[in-house]
Amino acid sequence: MPAYWLELSVTADPETVESITEVISRYTQGGVAIEEPFELRDDGLTHFPIPGAQVTCRVWIPDDVAAEETRARIEEGMWRLRQIAPGAIGEVQSKRVAEQDWANAWKEHYHPLPLGERVVIRPSWRDYAPTGDQVVIELDPGMAFGTGLHPTTRNCVRLVEQAVRPGDRVLDVGCGSGILSLAALKLGAASALALDVSSVAVEATAENARLNGLADRVDARLATLEGADSEAYLPLPPEVAFLGAEIGTYDLVLANIIARVIGQLAPALLRATRPGGLLIASGIIEERRDEAVAPLVAAGLTEIREVVENDWVTLIGRRATD
Amino acid sequence: MAKKVRGVVKLQIPAGKATPAQPIGPALGQHGINIMAFVKEYNERTASMAGSIVPVEITVYEDRSFTFVTKTPPASDLLKKAAGVAKGAATPNKAKVGSITRAQLREIAEMKMRDLNATSIEGAERIVEGAARSMGITIQ
Repeated sequence: MPAYWLELSVTADPETVESITEVISRYTQGGVAIEEPFELRDDGLTHFPIPGAQVTCRVWIPDDVAAEETRARIEEGMWRLRQIAPGAIGEVQSKRVAEQDWANAWKEHYHPLPLGERVVIRPSWRDYAPTGDQVVIELDPGMAFGTGLHPTTRNCVRLVEQAVRPGDRVLDVGCGSGILSLAALKLGAASALALDVSSVAVEATAENARLNGLADRVDARLATLEGADSEAYLPLPPEVAFLGAEIGTYDLVLANIIARVIGQLAPALLRATRPGGLLIASGIIEERRDEAVAPLVAAGLTEIREVVENDWVTLIGRRATD
Repeated sequence: MAKKVRGVVKLQIPAGKATPAQPIGPALGQHGINIMAFVKEYNERTASMAGSIVPVEITVYEDRSFTFVTKTPPASDLLKKAAGVAKGAATPNKAKVGSITRAQLREIAEMKMRDLNATSIEGAERIVEGAARSMGITIQ
């Protein structure tokens, strides 16, 4: 591996990107990165490219004896493209960057992370000796949401610490990495039914349960509850099961999703909470609070208490006893 | 969940052969996501397409979890296949390496339309035609 790389970048009109990447690929190995300006919509949950905005193509070449020739060839290729391309193409910019062990460098971002009073997340490559009554969850960041870095996850864990009782049966709707189920189990819950509409999440939950020696107490399924609108946010894969009254009731129900989905699922969430049992709901952007809270109240949630951090609302309430 | 988007990265990389090297390492490294998890998943999903460039769009969320979707091959790949040539011309304004028909152009434009963010099929055709011209591939 070279000690240094040359980062070459070209900013250009979007119509020219296909041509630019073709020229770059002739002289370099591995591929090209493309940065396209985007705008966030739907409260930041989805993104769309900005029409007509200029795009940057980027490639890294070893900064060795051949680097100058490669750069010159790409520059020449861009010069030729400018004569015939359907849009503007900027100059080739270059920047020297130090080699990094990319397979491992990202791990530097992660350290043991206390989430509440007792729960600590430990990446598998770090050591951590728990003190007092701390419980440690081994969890590597991956594709599934729930690394512990988001306020909604953190605040859910804090409320789980307060709510969970030994022997509790837990339902976790939108389980992501499984972090909340694992926290509840480490804190004394007996079992968890963990549901998600993403197969990546279901697999991550099962794997993380295994890593923590909790595989026999977590039932991870590709499913949601009856009442979910399959077209509301992202179309749901056809394999997703819709679970109803047959799953029974739970002492503690967790729903770290988004306001709209919590609102839709409110009757099903309350039906799955035993009378007197607790429900924790999160992922609610403050300005959409009522989309979640009003249906939960209408469905029978009482004694609601809220925690707000950086625009995100997490709430806990109790299903009224009949 | 509450998956707020933190960043988006697009990569044109060879199917089934992703590694933590360039461009994946430096492009994703700045977002602090689990690069090996991406590499493994991408290679699994694209193994059957080995030999093609399969672009991928990675969405990184606020807690550094991520998802990705694969896209149609770059227009240049489709053009080379359609014209039956191994690579484009180094001096496309002078040398011509091959040609495709208008029908083939439209076929490629239709396939690429969504990924090109074109608003009309004519717009997509113009982009693909531009790519063809830049490679020394003529339209007949």
